[in-house]
Amino acid sequence: MNAPDRSQDIVAAVLAFIAQDGCTDPTFDALAVRLFGYQYENNTAYRRFCQRRGATPRNAKRWNDIPAVPIDAFKELSLRSQPSAPTDRVFMTSGTTRSEVRGRHHHPTLAVYDSSMTRNFGRRFMRGRDKLPMATLFPDETVMPNSSLAHYLALAASEFGTPDSRCFVGPTGLDSEALCAALAHAERSAQPYALLGASYSFVHLMDDLRQRGRSFRLPPGSRVLDTGGYKGQSRELPLATFYEQLSATLGVPRSQCINMYGMTELSTQFYDDGNASLPSVKSGPHWIRSRIVDPLSGREVPAGERGILVHCDLANFNSVTTILTEDVGVASDGGFLLLGRAEGAQARGCSLAVEEFIRAAAA
Amino acid sequence: MKTLNAVAGHLPGLARQDVRWQTLAFESAAGRVDVEVPVLSAQQMTALARRVKQAARQHLRTMTVSQIIEVVDRAIARLLDPADPYRQQADRLLPTITGYDAEMVRLGLTSFFKTFRAPQLQRFVAEDFSNPKLLDEFQPRPKGGAARAFGPELLFHSWAGNVPALPLWSLVCGLLVKAGNIGKLPSAEPLFASLFARLLAEVHPPLADCLAVVWWKGGDEEQAGAVYAEADTVLAYGGNAALDEIRRRLPVTTRFLPYGHKLGFGVIGVAALDTLRGPATARLAAHDVMRYDQQGCYSPHVFYVERGGKVSPREFAQLLASELANLEQRFPRRALALEDAAAVAGWRQAGELQSLSTAGGVELIGGDGAAWGLAYADQPQSLAPTALNRSIQVVAVESLDDVIAQVEAHRPFLQTAGLAVAPQELFRLAELLGAAGVTRIAAIGSMTSPEAGWHHDGRFNLLDLVRIVEIEQSAELAADRLAPYAD
Repeated sequence: MNAPDRSQDIVAAVLAFIAQDGCTDPTFDALAVRLFGYQYENNTAYRRFCQRRGATPRNAKRWNDIPAVPIDAFKELSLRSQPSAPTDRVFMTSGTTRSEVRGRHHHPTLAVYDSSMTRNFGRRFMRGRDKLPMATLFPDETVMPNSSLAHYLALAASEFGTPDSRCFVGPTGLDSEALCAALAHAERSAQPYALLGASYSFVHLMDDLRQRGRSFRLPPGSRVLDTGGYKGQSRELPLATFYEQLSATLGVPRSQCINMYGMTELSTQFYDDGNASLPSVKSGPHWIRSRIVDPLSGREVPAGERGILVHCDLANFNSVTTILTEDVGVASDGGFLLLGRAEGAQARGCSLAVEEFIRAAAA
Repeated sequence: MKTLNAVAGHLPGLARQDVRWQTLAFESAAGRVDVEVPVLSAQQMTALARRVKQAARQHLRTMTVSQIIEVVDRAIARLLDPADPYRQQADRLLPTITGYDAEMVRLGLTSFFKTFRAPQLQRFVAEDFSNPKLLDEFQPRPKGGAARAFGPELLFHSWAGNVPALPLWSLVCGLLVKAGNIGKLPSAEPLFASLFARLLAEVHPPLADCLAVVWWKGGDEEQAGAVYAEADTVLAYGGNAALDEIRRRLPVTTRFLPYGHKLGFGVIGVAALDTLRGPATARLAAHDVMRYDQQGCYSPHVFYVERGGKVSPREFAQLLASELANLEQRFPRRALALEDAAAVAGWRQAGELQSLSTAGGVELIGGDGAAWGLAYADQPQSLAPTALNRSIQVVAVESLDDVIAQVEAHRPFLQTAGLAVAPQELFRLAELLGAAGVTRIAAIGSMTSPEAGWHHDGRFNLLDLVRIVEIEQSAELAADRLAPYAD
């Protein structure tokens, strides 16, 4: 038996793994199982969760053997392997109802998150370019220190943005005046431009531009990254309409409109290769793997069937690698299609369903 | 896999080829059923509504209540006959359409139909009308004068799905008050109401035009608007959001009778928890959970169990769990859609996380693979819905009075409470539960079979539908003065 892993060993191992060009199944499994052992050892709540399922590092051989933790556990349990410290960076879920407890994801260091983000972002969004002028359509990190998306976007701008990149969402919302000026400037400059932000911010932008009767033809090579859906913050648009309008308003082809799928509970993101056709296939880098399960049995569904997504993210070194989401997906060539959230059971009968009860309680 | 076909709807005056049809496909382990449902234009809907109104005036209003009961009784007799083609069609198709176990459906239908036989229907009418002849003609009033009850010209029903044959309740109410009836089929079970309408027309042909059964997809403004403009009374089952949607579209002069989703619970006192009665009570409780996989408004979500009996609350939970396991063998739970499965899994996970995070949280009984789930709480827990589909919570309480505090905050959602207590407790608790908002108190084991003539959600099923027309004494006296034989 090897000596127990120390956190710095774990961090070093994960960083080295991310830095590799790829991996084989056995090397992925080996690091996943090693992280499982470390997290099982150092996190009491997680250990009890695993014990209830009869899963121990001893009988875990592959990443699929690691029990998936429902994302609600980030609200209910303390999911961290290192003791909490004042220097921890804590990302919190947004919480959709007023009284809701927010999920917490503790990062003793952001070295792993940042390395995962930059390496993946460089390949999937920058696609070979070092720097681009960037417009961020989301509050910055000082306004939302607990938002993983705010950090993600700040990192994108600091690592990949030219010095004139800036954030266009202030305390009063989207500064469309300034953004229009920046877009007009980009249009004239012939230098590709990038816009990144929450999906609902783009809806606000499009509404605003329509009101002003403005549209742009950004130079070739320009691109858009949206993420996170509408979250009740804007009108709900069907995806096809969203990308159609986005492309028409900004003059960026749909193939250059990339959607990022990320979660506070993960340290790694998924991307598609543009949204020329829908639904687009989402995929991640070599240090994250996904499977699609039947929610009741936890077993993988046969290929082609809908199920709930489980992700095993090796960059989640401090919390838990493997999480059970509430997202419905279906396996697709090289990744998965995201089919939305498994919204509470549709109330077809006369018996009260949880959703309605919660709505009534929150009112 | 064999595919069976069925045609839904009942559209007097409209030929099949005049109507657009859409197919709803249902699949279960038993096979596949394609049900064709009609999609009317607004003009067709308006014409249909007027035709039904006219026919009801002519053929239904001229019948006495006793004659109507006699006709319904003949139709129900057919449905109670296992050899009858209508009953056979229901038995054959409903399990596939709803996904419920065939034997569960068969037994459920028979016990449901029995509450619509003539003596039960007479009781039903007598519950609301001490003198049922009020529905037929003017009757003298003790205060003087006379009164008669008139039903709606056109009663529109928006029916709910998951418990098969549910539309029978409101449809029979509508017939008993001699209303023209148009019902909108639920997409989850579009068959039964269609069968029943055709059966009635066969049993008593003049009724054929007095009712119609239609369908539209949620959100179809045109058809809804057309029928709302014609109906004088609208009765709807559904979630509060859907009900609110309907209410907002109705003219203010239209009478609206909403039946929202409800949350049932059971209360089990020490008297039912000795070594003999404890297991028997658990068996009955398990039946209430199993029937239609908790989809009824009367289905239990939580059993509150009193401490201090020979059988402790935790032991009761274990007995209930083993009964649920037995019932899974006899009446397997239907296959769950992904969303339903995710809801059940989410409910279990919430229980599991609670047990990991707090002392005195809940304890899950039954493995991940089981087609039922039980969460036991040793501390008081507020009434909350489970994920349905045989997920049930058992909560220990020091005394039965403690239950009131757990349920009274949810007054708008209360309806049925199942009770297993001694007689003196029954009336005392009923007083408290009634004040808290409960409207129906039943035995454990009978929660899902309301008796004939029950008052759904505490309302008068028939009285709510009618309008009373009074001849005041002054009119009678004035008429006397105008008689040709007046002195």
